[in-house]
Order: sequence, then C-alpha cells, then structure tokens
Amino acid sequence: MDQFLQHLLNATMLGGTYALLGIGLTLIFGIMRVVNFTHGELYTFGAYMVFFFTMTLSANFFLALVFAMVLGIALGAAIEFVLLRRLRGASIDTTMLVMIGAWIAMQNAEQLAWTGVAKSVNHPFPVDPLVLGPVSVSWIRIFVFCVAVLLIVGTHLLIHRTRLGKAMRSTFQDRETAALMGVNIDAIHTATFALGSGLAAAAGALLGPVFVLVPGMGDMAALKSFAIVILGGLGSFMGATLGGFLLALVEELGAGYISSGYRDGMGFLIIIVVLIFKPTGLFARKERIG
Amino acid sequence: MNRWATWLWLVFLFSIPLWMTNQYYLHILIIAGIFIIAAMSLNLLLGYTGQLSLGHVAFFGIGGYTSALVSLGFDLELTDRYSFVFPAQPVWIAFLAGIVVAGFFGWLIGKISFKVRGAYFVIVTISFAEVVRLVALNWIDLTEGPMALNNIPPFTLGVPGLWELTFLRKIPNYYLVLVTCILSYVVIARLVGSRLGRAMIALRENEPLATSVGVDVTRLLVLAAVVSAAIAGAAGGLYTHYIRIIDPDVFMFIYTVTMVIMVVTGGKGTLAGPIVGGLIFGILPEVLREVASPEMQWVIYGLLMIVIVYFLPDGIVPALSSWWKGRSGGGGAGAAAPGPGAPPKIGEERA
Amino acid sequence: MSANPSNRQVVLEIDRLAISFGGLVALASVSFDVHEGEIASLIGPNGAGKTTAFNAITGFLTASGDSIRYRGKTLNGLRPNQIADLGVVRTFQKTSVFAADTVTDNVMIGLHRHAGARLWEILLARPRVRDEEIRLRAQAGEILDMMGLSAHAEELGGALPYGEQRLLEVAIALAAKPSLLLLDEPVSGMNPSETASFMAMLGRIRASGITILLVEHDMRMVMGVSDRVIVLNQGAIIAEGTPEEIQRNPEVIRAYLGHGAGKRGADKREAGRA
Repeated sequence: MDQFLQHLLNATMLGGTYALLGIGLTLIFGIMRVVNFTHGELYTFGAYMVFFFTMTLSANFFLALVFAMVLGIALGAAIEFVLLRRLRGASIDTTMLVMIGAWIAMQNAEQLAWTGVAKSVNHPFPVDPLVLGPVSVSWIRIFVFCVAVLLIVGTHLLIHRTRLGKAMRSTFQDRETAALMGVNIDAIHTATFALGSGLAAAAGALLGPVFVLVPGMGDMAALKSFAIVILGGLGSFMGATLGGFLLALVEELGAGYISSGYRDGMGFLIIIVVLIFKPTGLFARKERIG
Repeated sequence: MNRWATWLWLVFLFSIPLWMTNQYYLHILIIAGIFIIAAMSLNLLLGYTGQLSLGHVAFFGIGGYTSALVSLGFDLELTDRYSFVFPAQPVWIAFLAGIVVAGFFGWLIGKISFKVRGAYFVIVTISFAEVVRLVALNWIDLTEGPMALNNIPPFTLGVPGLWELTFLRKIPNYYLVLVTCILSYVVIARLVGSRLGRAMIALRENEPLATSVGVDVTRLLVLAAVVSAAIAGAAGGLYTHYIRIIDPDVFMFIYTVTMVIMVVTGGKGTLAGPIVGGLIFGILPEVLREVASPEMQWVIYGLLMIVIVYFLPDGIVPALSSWWKGRSGGGGAGAAAPGPGAPPKIGEERA
Repeated sequence: MSANPSNRQVVLEIDRLAISFGGLVALASVSFDVHEGEIASLIGPNGAGKTTAFNAITGFLTASGDSIRYRGKTLNGLRPNQIADLGVVRTFQKTSVFAADTVTDNVMIGLHRHAGARLWEILLARPRVRDEEIRLRAQAGEILDMMGLSAHAEELGGALPYGEQRLLEVAIALAAKPSLLLLDEPVSGMNPSETASFMAMLGRIRASGITILLVEHDMRMVMGVSDRVIVLNQGAIIAEGTPEEIQRNPEVIRAYLGHGAGKRGADKREAGRA
C-alpha cells in the first residue's frame, strides 16, 4: 500500500509536466492540424536553455526558467513563421515531412552544440526529500509540480478569458467561419504554435533539473505528448491535462509492478489501444460534421 | 527509360564487382542496395497508396530478426519445466520466414489503418515500431536484447554434401542484393502498372471518388501494406545474413526517417525515385564522412529535406523528367495541341 | 405513394429517411421512389437536404434502419464501394476527377470493378493481364467517344476545362456500369449550349437502360429532361409529380419565392442571354 501511495505521488508530481506537454501539442495539433515533430525538440531546447543559463552563465535558477520558456515561445513563433506559413494549403504529407526535416536538423544541432554527454542542472532546493509518513518526495519535484499547475491554470485562463483564446477556440471549431468573422488565421497559427512550443519548453526546463539532459531526450517527450493528446482527445484541454496525469500514473504503475524496461513503452501502448478502441479519445469534443 | 538503356544499365550493374576492387566501396553499394529495396517498399505504401506509414523500419527489423532466429534456432522457456525449442533451419527457409512474418505484420497494420486515418495513422505506425523495438530490447529470452544476436549464418547456395557456395564474401552478397533489388523492382512495377496500382493511386488522389466507383479501400490498403512489408522484410533478411549480427538498434526511428528521406527526395510515387534517393543517401554519408561529423550530416539531411520539399515537392525524378520533356520540345502527356479555330465543343462529336 | 404514369417498376425506395447532425435536422422522414428507366430530379432551395440524401443513399453518410432500398436490398450501413457493386454510382457536387491521371486512366479507374486480374496473375505477368488491359483501354475509349472527350484522352484530368471535367466525372461514373446513376448538380457552371448537349446525353444514357436520379438547380434542364420531379424544402418533401404539375404547384412557387425569387429571375435572364 505504501508503495502504491508512493507511485501515486510520483505520478502526480510528474503528471503536471506531462500535462503541459500534452496541452501544448493538443493546441497545435487541434487548431493547426499539424503533426508537430518538433514538439520534443522544444522540450529539449527548454532543458538545455536552463542548463546554459544556470551552468554556463551562472544565472539565477528561477530567472533561467523564465528565460527558457520565453525563448521557447520565440523559437516556436519562428518555426511557424519560417517553415509552416507557406505550407498553409499543402497536403498533410508535405507538412509532416518538413517537420521531420526540422526535427532532425534541430536534434543534431543540439547534439553538435552540447555533445552527447549527459548533463545535469543544479537547483537551489534541498536535496533531502520531504518525508510525509510512508511516502517521500523531493523538494524540486514539489516546485516543479506547483509551477506546472500554475502554467496549466494560466493557459486555461488565456484560452477561456482572453480575446486571443476566444479566437483560438473559434478557429478550432470552425476555421472558415472564424476567418469570415475577421479572425486573422495566420496570426492565430503563429500564436498557437508559439504557445504550444513555449509549454513544451517549460516542461523541459522544469524537468531538466529532475532528470539528466541528453540531446535525444525530446523523442520520448514527443511521443508521450502524442499519447496524451490521443488519450485525452484532440483539441481537448481538459483531456490533455487529465491525460497527462493518467499517462504518468500508468507509467509509474507499469514500471513499478510490471517492468521498468517497458516504462516508456506504456505511452505507445496507450496510443495503440486508444486508437483502436476509442479513436476520439476519452474526452473528445464533438466535431462539427462538415 | 527505353529498353536499350535498361539493358545497358543492368549490364553495368552486374559488371561492377569485376572492376571495382575496393571492397569498401562494394560494401557501400551493398548497404545502399539493401536500403533501396526498403525504400522501394516504403514507396509503395507512402508514395503510391498515399499512406503515411512511418513505422516502416519495423517490417525491416521484423524480417531481419525472424530470419536470424529461424536460421539460428532458439528456445523459449515457457514455464519452469517446459521450453519451446525451435531447431535451426537453412538460411533460405529463414529468409522466406522473415518475409512471411513481416508480411503478416503488414496485414495487421493494413487492417488498423482503415480504422485510423490521416495523422492518427502516422502516430500509430510510429508507436508500433517503437513497441517492437522495446520488445526486441526487453524480451531478452528470445532476442538477446542489447547483447544482439550474432554469428548469424550467411546465405549458402548449393547442394549440401556435394557443392556449396557460402555467401561470406562481398561479391556474392552484392549479386544477391542486386538480384533481390531487381526482383523487388519488377514486382512493384507490375503491381503499380496494373489495375490494382491504378486503384491505389486513385485512393491516394481522391478517395471518395475511388470508393464511389467500387474501389474497396480496406482490401487495397491491406494489399499495399502486405506487399510493402514483405519486401521490407526481405531487405531485413538480406541485411541480417550479410552483416551477420542484429540488435534492437535496427528498429530506431532514424532508419525509418532515412527511408522516408530517400523516397521523398527521390520522388514518391515514381519507380525510379527511391532508387535515386537511395543512391544519394546511401553514398552521400560516405562522401561527407571526411568533412562532417555524423551530427552535422544529419543537420544537412534535415535541411536538404526541407529544401527539396519546398522547391521540388515531387522529388528529384519528376523534376528531372519534366525538365527533360521541356527540353525535348513538349512531348508527352499534357501537350494535346489545341486547334487553331474554336475550342472543341461538347456534344459536337456524336456517338 | 408516388405518381407513376407509366407503371414502371420501383427500383429505389426511400422510406422515411431521416438524418440529423447534432440538433440540426437535415432530412425529416423523407419518402419517395424512383422507377426503372426514368429520369427523376430532386430539386429544392440550397440547404434543402438534397446532397444529404445523395450521401445517405450512396453510403457516404450512414442512416440507421432500413430506409434506403435498392431493388429490394437495404443500402443502409453499406460502404460506398459495396453500394457501387450493387449498381448505384454517383457523381459529386464539387468537381471530382483524378487530377494527376490522364483522362483515359480516369475512366479506367471507373472500370475497376469490371476488371478481374488477380494479384498473382499481375505479378507473374500472365498474358491474360495484358489482354484485359487492352480490352479495358478499348472500353475506356468507347466511353470517351460517347461523352465527346476523345480529343482529350491523353490530357491530365486536372488540366481539362471546367465543362469537360464535369463530363469526365460522368464518364468515370458510367465506366462503373451503374444501373442507377445519381448525378449531383452535373451542369452547374455550364453555359446554355453545354447544358443542352448534356441534356441530350442524358437522354442517350437513359436509353441505354440506366435509371437516373438528378439533383439540380437549373430549372430549364430539370423541366426539360425529367420524367418526375421531387421537391425538397428544409428537409421535407413538399411536392412530387411531373414537371408540369410541379411548375404549377403553389407550395413549390412559395418555397422558391421565399428562398430566392432572385434565382429564378437570374435563370430567366441567363436563358435570355444564350
């Protein structure tokens, strides 16, 4: 029972960042219908930026986190503007192939810049975990969880309480009508991609101090993001959030009770199972029949 | 390409080992050849049928592992007391087994793809390949996991006891790969030029229209997937008995990406495309080896892919062929000369 | 149930077909029949549900129950290619051809159902395969002749002028050898002389034994070519009968006046311009 509680706690701590990844991708995938292969690379980028600021520039840890996220937003906007803009009408194959090209280029550029040697980021929190009866949790994880929740809430407010969010939602529901009503679809696309990328970068920045940094770390993050989006239903904010926690839970329990080797595989199994049995996901919004 | 050119080309290819003494170059060609076979098979699914299958390396690896395991023999501890023992089989049988098993998984993917289309299908296929990789990595009992299966027997030709040729050296393997390549090409060319191929292309171009005239989408997708997977499995088998060692890294996504790059830059939906792409990306790494690190190369490939998708969206082969047609003065399809007078009127030609 | 002047046999029965999307009712319990060898037209203002009906009949939309029957066989729940196998083929409202294939290849795809070469025969390049290809190509040529498209045989489908593309659509559908042909606004965008030729061709198609169900806005064509007209408005049938009966029907006039007298006026002006 204690073990189970520990797993539950670990899953909750991790689930917050997974939710960030999922929300970021569901926005991009949902509004732009782009299979964003660079999502994982933004995650990696966020982590390496924190590394760069704290370890190389010796900047303040919290400031580094903020910078990493802001740079992630900027990079996302740049990718959308440079690569995706002119592919607006193109087939899904073309867009996907361009994204794959960008993903390869980015990951290897990161490899060139930071080498493949695993790096770690120092953080200002005490190393000894906080012990709460039968379970324990490290301070950094608590911090990460809190920031993740803040970001989730912030994004939710952005989407539901601001004009930008309203424009994004209407573009998701019915692109043509939104355009007719005066929504600048180009700008929305850039904003969406930037926001989604920023969230991925934030996830990376937050998890960087928790795990080690290697250039390939984004791949798993990307695939888990897709698993979360599919689990939660395309375009569903709530679905992505809950999906993130659910995936973390399935991973923790799977690693704990079945085999840790298959831990990362849990995400894939979820993808396959959900797509076969309930392709619209657990919390899918109703799509309008055109 | 007309028949003379084809024959010349074939003679040239068959003659290579006779004058290319550098074994290393021969090795490059063999590996490129294996990749070309895999790329051609991917082209059938991706280029002709328009299905974005990004898990293709799974079929390659499954073919390779199956062939390796069947030729080595294996035993599985099913319970504490009972082990399932599979005795080693001759390599040709193993090779065929690899093709059949890969084809079976192709059938599975084909069936699933009907339910799950578009971007979701891409994700399913990627996930499938990753799951297979994790299984290969973790099911150590069967696959030796990261320790790899080694000492895989090479191909042998001949009658045991009387005369045998063992494909240990590069030259026999080169010919084996070349012949398989040609066979695969012929299979794909015949399929694509037939009514089934027309239907596949119709599916890719305009699925509602195709289905409205009776094209059975599921059956066609499954067919394309099975043939595609089987050929990829053959490539995997060739690889495994040439390199004679196989480990779970063979399932890495980067190899699927390599195949996709070959098909897309060469020209998806054309017969020559994957060959051109395969040659370029099989040989380019060697050319760049001195000048750029592997990472740098990949950055270049990634950028190259983006550039080609932008400027030559159909790939190199179609671009070359329309440039060629343009130079020869506008022959070929699409150049029906309009009459000097009024445009043809509908209904003026009576039945 | 419906006017049947020549006592022909009913081939297509629509029996209380109802379709809604979410809360929106597209078709509200619609019933009508189509008889062997006739040309029936489905007309009505935009949004009346005509294309929805087509989609349901040909399997692009699934309607529950057993509200659609062709020659006694229930079509509900079947996939479009299965429905095509039963002889029911449609064209689409938005121009739909295989743009990157030649015109001949377009038609040959339509002939897909009637080609029998098996996979193994293809792979082994049996002579039967080549013979069949030659036969198919000849058939495609005949169809193109009939539609007046022979001059364009080797052009790409996407490169054809608009009017020819619409003809190509019909050619592809005919290649599938339907017994019931559903045409969705086949002459929209055509000029009056093209429309007149098309009407003549419809007559020829009907003469070859094919039943035709038409959705159209062009009243001249509808009244000139149809044996029977069925009028839909807001998802329900408001009138049914011969063209003459329909033209005099006050409900119909009201529906059209209410939704766009301007359209009929525009049609008249267009006719004047011919």
